[in-house]
Amino acid sequence: MDIALIGNPNTGKTSLFNNLTGSYEYVGNWSGVTVEKKVGILKNQRDQLIDLPGVYTLNPLSKDEGVVTIFFLNEPFDMLLNILDASQLRRNLHLTIQLLEFGAPIVIGLNMVDVAGNRGIKIDSRNLSACLGVPVVPVVARTGKGCDSLAEMISAEAGQPDIAFEVDYGPAVEKATAALKEKLAGRTKIPARWLAIQFLEGNQYVREFLLNFIGGSELNELLEFVETQLKTDGVKETLEQYMYRKRSEAIETVVARSMVRTEGAGTPLSEKIDRIATNKILGIPLFLLLMYLMFMLTFDWLGFPLSDALDAVITGPVTDWISAGLAAVGASEFINALILDGIVAGVGGVLVFVPQIFILFFFISLLEDSGYMARVALVMDRVMEAAGLNGKAFIPMMIGFGCNVPGIMAARTIETPKERLLTILLTPLMSCSARLPVYALFAGAFFAGDKALIVLSLYVLGIVVALILAKIFSITVLKGETSLFVIELPPYRVPQIQALWRSTWEKGKGFVKKAGTFIFAGSVLIWLLSYAGPGGLKVPMDDSYLAMIGGIFAPIFAPIGFGTWQAGASLLTGFLAKESIISTMNIIYFVPDEATLQGLLSQHFTPLAAYSFMVFILLYVPCLATAATIYKETGSRRWTAFSIGYALLIAYLLSFIVYQGGKLAGWA
Amino acid sequence: MMTIEKVMAMLGEMKKGEKALIKSISGADRFVRRRLLDLGIAEGAEVCIKCVLPFGGPVMLESCGQCVGIRRREAFRIEVERV
Ligand SMILES: Nc1nc2c(ncn2[C@@H]2O[C@H](COP(=O)(O)OP(=O)(O)OP(=O)(O)O)[C@@H](O)[C@H]2O)c(=O)[nH]1
Ligand SMILES: [Mg+2]
Repeated sequence: MDIALIGNPNTGKTSLFNNLTGSYEYVGNWSGVTVEKKVGILKNQRDQLIDLPGVYTLNPLSKDEGVVTIFFLNEPFDMLLNILDASQLRRNLHLTIQLLEFGAPIVIGLNMVDVAGNRGIKIDSRNLSACLGVPVVPVVARTGKGCDSLAEMISAEAGQPDIAFEVDYGPAVEKATAALKEKLAGRTKIPARWLAIQFLEGNQYVREFLLNFIGGSELNELLEFVETQLKTDGVKETLEQYMYRKRSEAIETVVARSMVRTEGAGTPLSEKIDRIATNKILGIPLFLLLMYLMFMLTFDWLGFPLSDALDAVITGPVTDWISAGLAAVGASEFINALILDGIVAGVGGVLVFVPQIFILFFFISLLEDSGYMARVALVMDRVMEAAGLNGKAFIPMMIGFGCNVPGIMAARTIETPKERLLTILLTPLMSCSARLPVYALFAGAFFAGDKALIVLSLYVLGIVVALILAKIFSITVLKGETSLFVIELPPYRVPQIQALWRSTWEKGKGFVKKAGTFIFAGSVLIWLLSYAGPGGLKVPMDDSYLAMIGGIFAPIFAPIGFGTWQAGASLLTGFLAKESIISTMNIIYFVPDEATLQGLLSQHFTPLAAYSFMVFILLYVPCLATAATIYKETGSRRWTAFSIGYALLIAYLLSFIVYQGGKLAGWA
Repeated sequence: MMTIEKVMAMLGEMKKGEKALIKSISGADRFVRRRLLDLGIAEGAEVCIKCVLPFGGPVMLESCGQCVGIRRREAFRIEVERV
């Protein structure tokens, strides 16, 4: 059996999905976390649960909300699991009614009963079930309370429902339904009444669906018929408003029978927090302060010492054990070099940064789960508007600090196509965690005194460049379309330690996994290229193939301060994954530990060239995975090529300004 | 008649902490109107201004425990009646 999970955004669908299927899909406290359909197997090992993006109605406003409507019209499913937010019953029921009109078997999961309770709202699920004629199970998806009985209910409920509930849209609509039914003459299984109601409300997808069976002029006649009929009945609203009102009236009767309001407890916590978080004066400074704290903890106070300690372990005991092991099995000199100079240097050099990356991901998860993310979007909207974007674009950018790939995916919640495309194109400028090792290494080598400040300047540079380019693109290549902004601000939720750890781990896992696979294979290859050359094996590195390849690019980079084959070779591998830059450097300048590497680097780079190098790394080309995501999300080769092209250009330009400008200023 | 003049206003004029009933949202952009309806903010709903961000930034409204942020420009196209 295929069960589709449907509900308003941010009502806890994915939390429930995770609970019922034992998966760890992406959960966050803002609207639009899930952007793609996800399939999981229920714990009974029989039924499939399909998690969908949240929608307010089946009549989509933007193309991306259409995913659910398309699913509805075209894909087979056997049952609907409708999740309601008990604290926002009225608004959630609009969708429920549309689902009931569809006539498929349906079970309602009444979620967030804990939140409703705190607000003094009590819902009698038995009465609600009686009103609607479908089973209603109260749950708390976050803690798993009630999930077992919901699972049981789903398994038990397979037959046709006896939906007792119908909205009275008046005679005109019913007549239109009958007319449509006649015209369709049983050519589709989808109920005529649902099609009629959706069509009359202006659902474009349903209109297109109907065009398969009925001519456009006939459809227009039907629409006109209802509109004139309503006018003669003295209805002044538009048809869409009229349908909405009729539904709202029906909802009132349901709510009256099933909801009890008691006095809520004082000022909700959310409101107290918002007095500061979205304060006129304090809003932006507070956000900057939080970013600064996150930053200092990651790079300076906490992350740095941890990474240092890990480095000491890897280069010390771990390397010793491995070489002792190799000696014990009598490994050849070649294998010895491959493992120690290639793999340990390459993979170990990246793994050293795991603590810093986990700290960063921890903060991003905290931001996502608390509900502050939507506030940041609100507070930043004015600035973003000036750049030709809207505040919602800030969410993908923040997520992009962890990894650009989910950041770009998150851009789907931006309703206007132009702003969404802009966000997709600019999110790669956000300094992702894979770039962090480069900064940590270089800032440590050249700017030891104020390394945090130097790294901070790079993050800020990324944002500033993104905003300036947004403005430039929106008045040149991406003109037109007014910018719109409506954002739902969810109540704050105290993050649960366990959930936080889970989502930190889910994000950080990718980094560790990549080190074990991609970086591992890359290290082997890079080492081989540095070991072999036209002159045979075990050549001096300057005569290796790697030096030859890197040397091709070296002259291009000379004007921006790092015209060495080493830089050329590492930048080339950086396109595959940004961490590769570090693993390549570790192999090239093979030295026992990070400290020595830093010493060695200072022979090849001046501090100015090092900064220029970091600027270049920050901006130049999205990595392979990011480019693939850009292609997937835009569906356009042209825009993907554009995103790579403009990034290379702007990176070169800015590094040039930094390096040549710096030299003129006498810093080199 | 005089009193009516006084209580009618545009949402964008309202200050932090003030409450009002929505009179008409038909002046707002189609997209904004639909989203507000989705969030249960329709004609007749009571809203409270929770905050107004500086430099012509967005306003945050609350209605039935649901908070929503919209741009000031759109707020100026929504008619309300102060309460
Ligand atoms: N207090 C409380 N919080 C919950 C409950 N269920 C989910 N949450 C929280 O609500 C937030 C949203 O949960 P998600 O599961 O991501 O919601 P969703 O419906 O999948 O959201 P979208 O994918 O954006 O449509 C998260 O912060 C959850 O921790 C619940 O029953 N009680
Ligand atoms: Mg979800």
